[in-house]
Amino acid sequence: MKSSYLLPNKYKIPGWIILIIGLILGVFLRFTDFESDVLEIKVLAISGGGDTIINNSGLEDASDYFRVIKNSVLDEITALMIIVGGLFVGFSKEKVEDEFIYKLRKDSLVWAIIINYVILMFTVIFVYNFSFFNILVYNMFTPLLIFIFRFNFLKAKS
Amino acid sequence: MKNTIKIERARHNLTQGDVAEKIGVSRQSINAIEKGKYVPSTVLAIKIAQLFKLSVEELFFLEEGEEL
Repeated sequence: MKSSYLLPNKYKIPGWIILIIGLILGVFLRFTDFESDVLEIKVLAISGGGDTIINNSGLEDASDYFRVIKNSVLDEITALMIIVGGLFVGFSKEKVEDEFIYKLRKDSLVWAIIINYVILMFTVIFVYNFSFFNILVYNMFTPLLIFIFRFNFLKAKS
Repeated sequence: MKNTIKIERARHNLTQGDVAEKIGVSRQSINAIEKGKYVPSTVLAIKIAQLFKLSVEELFFLEEGEEL
């Protein structure tokens, strides 16, 4: 079964390692509100480089573009690890890649997108303010994570 | 779509894994096809039939009133 968008199978294990470290870091950051100065470096902010200001529509970033600011990059690294690890795991070839596995992957993707947006619709209706901001943070990763979970579940079941 | 893969496997004394390996697909595929959960492509159906030295129609049949 030829499919051009999949990475070789050797990406699978590094993917799992990066993903799991990323998830552990993510949970740690989430529940400790850990802001480290150790990884504080200068970064280029294409947007959001200005101070946060309060105006009549609530909190907003001052519209400053292309500024170099200091920022702790631990949360950025964590997010990138979850995304890169997740992409490696979800989109690398299985040991034996065939039409049925290909179908499982496609079905899992569709299932993950639908479930993700059903849950998101529920939270749009019932979650407000900063709690909803947290939902949006989770939502950066949930389509990929639900997909990986569903695909491996279906594969193990059959 | 029904099939007699399980019977043919027993006749040839092969496991699902053996069949998968001989054809070059995953064990999950053979399992899903055997249970009727997955309808294989024409290429895969021919390969499985050839393994048992049968024609495709001797191995796979439509059920009554089967829809696409």
